[in-house]
Amino acid sequence: MTPFEVKDCALLLRMSGLPPALNLRELLDRISVCGENVLYHHFCETTLRPTFDDPDYRNDFAVWAKLYLGDRVLAERLGIVDPYAFGTMGELRAAVLDIIDDRLGELTMVPWVRPGDEFHFKEATTVIFDTGERIRSPRALAPAILGMTNGSIYYHFLEALRRPPVGKDDFSAWLLEAGDDFAPCIHALEAIDFHFHSLPHLRKELARVLAAGEEMR
Amino acid sequence: MTAPLAAYEAIVGSSAVAQLRRLGEKLAGLRVVHVNATRERGGVAEILECMVPLMRDVGIDATWEVVHGDPRFFDISRAIRNGLQGRRVDLSKKDWRIYHDVSEKNAGRMRALLEEADFVIIHDPQPAGLLKYCPNRKGRWLWRAHIDISRSYRPVWKVLRTLVEKYDASIFSMPEFAQPLPHPQFLVPPSIDPLSEKNRELDPAELSGTRAEYGCDPERPLLVQVSRFDRSKDPIGVIEAYRLVRKVTPVQLVLAGSWAADDPEGKAVLEELLEAAQRDPDIHVVLLPSGAHKTINALQRLADIVLQKSTREGFGLTVTEALWKGKPVIGGDVGGIRLQVVNHHTGFLVNTPEGAAHRIRYLLHHRERIREMGNEAKEFVRDNFLPARHLREYLTLFLAIRSGKEERTLQV
Repeated sequence: MTPFEVKDCALLLRMSGLPPALNLRELLDRISVCGENVLYHHFCETTLRPTFDDPDYRNDFAVWAKLYLGDRVLAERLGIVDPYAFGTMGELRAAVLDIIDDRLGELTMVPWVRPGDEFHFKEATTVIFDTGERIRSPRALAPAILGMTNGSIYYHFLEALRRPPVGKDDFSAWLLEAGDDFAPCIHALEAIDFHFHSLPHLRKELARVLAAGEEMR
Repeated sequence: MTAPLAAYEAIVGSSAVAQLRRLGEKLAGLRVVHVNATRERGGVAEILECMVPLMRDVGIDATWEVVHGDPRFFDISRAIRNGLQGRRVDLSKKDWRIYHDVSEKNAGRMRALLEEADFVIIHDPQPAGLLKYCPNRKGRWLWRAHIDISRSYRPVWKVLRTLVEKYDASIFSMPEFAQPLPHPQFLVPPSIDPLSEKNRELDPAELSGTRAEYGCDPERPLLVQVSRFDRSKDPIGVIEAYRLVRKVTPVQLVLAGSWAADDPEGKAVLEELLEAAQRDPDIHVVLLPSGAHKTINALQRLADIVLQKSTREGFGLTVTEALWKGKPVIGGDVGGIRLQVVNHHTGFLVNTPEGAAHRIRYLLHHRERIREMGNEAKEFVRDNFLPARHLREYLTLFLAIRSGKEERTLQV
């Protein structure tokens, strides 16, 4: 089988150019016109940013609804949205707009935040580079993962989900080449609920399930 | 003396260092010039002292220049800086002419270097005027704002904006600090150097020496706030919080800081603090001389809890320093403190002296939480606010701008 090429990536954040949202109506309006990269960033790239909010919600809109708008109902509804369950960013955008619009319909007043708590729309460029490291056997995958940077974990396990083959992480795609022998490992990787893991935790979890899958073979 | 990248490997890990070297290989020989106001003091100088050698270590031809000027120029540029931070300042047309004249002279002195560079990074407002006088620029010019200009005094910003908008891009520490500008605005938080005199590990003898110097009792909990004596840092509020705690728990307080000679408000604040300290032997007001890095380091390490009860704050690198020393921080719910202090993880955000007192009492009552939160705080800084992350973002910034592409992903 071909060696696994370990890539790494780093995120470069920038302002989207959209004005910040001071209330829920403005959030709706901005999301309806923002670029797909903005949506992608606030849903999918949050793990690469410093935050302790990962145990609650993975996307920035849910975190903002909870912490600053004080709308826990909206936070719960947005927080459960899985960006990887949508085929396109357009579908994700439509789903998010529906949730916010429904919530606006339920409220008697548009909720506002105090100055300083606005939602700032950001986007990022993911700079990807080859580390030069190669993994030559499936058995070496788990120990190699333990030595990877957060950027590598993000690129191969999360970012990969939106690359062809869509919905498949790079580790599983590579293990498929090794045939049915590694099916338990692939199933174990698929079973990881990554929404509740920070990248350092995800690294440990990936190594753990791969080692356990090896034992089951 | 700044350590090269290898010295950070034990702190951030070999994979993080290897990542930087890989990125550096893609930029080998890139000519980068940083320009700021001074090499001597302040957060920007501390960052550049660390960052420039690290850039060189990964293969970039990085240099660091400072603007030269007479005291009048630095008074004006200090006023510009204060205006950008929201203070009402009077700057006449003559003042701005002096600012431009000095910028032109500096540009004349550095023109060849600046015009040939691939990237010129201009830090804060003092050298921002250089671009206008370097018409044959070959590379990209970036304006790096270390301060919060979101609520700047408009007459100052309106003039400076005419200079800044000519840059190819700007860099802010947080989205909240930015102003609308007609070019890309990147977000790069600052960092602290774990190997500097202010942050390096200290041995027990050094710590006990500082404790004895300021007459602190090793048997009782110590609260410390290190900050400029300025109302926006709310040292009076810290004393109020201390007094509320003192009613139930015997604690000591150190308020350590400096005082800008051109700030009459600071003098009044210092006098109030000294008066409070005279009446209470457990309040220690420490007037720090310039360059008292080891004392700051020791005081932060001696603290049980560090306070940064600001009502207005930039990024708040003193918070980062305290978190790196494994101390939970009770901080004002403003500026960059909000990015760093996360309730129940790295400390607590508070809005009032009462709130600060409540959280101090909570932590002193649950001493094990001080240790747990301190450990978490240190790891948080290790991952996010050390030079390795900062350098990585500069390298990715150079790669992204140089590519000229605007796609979400960039393969290099």
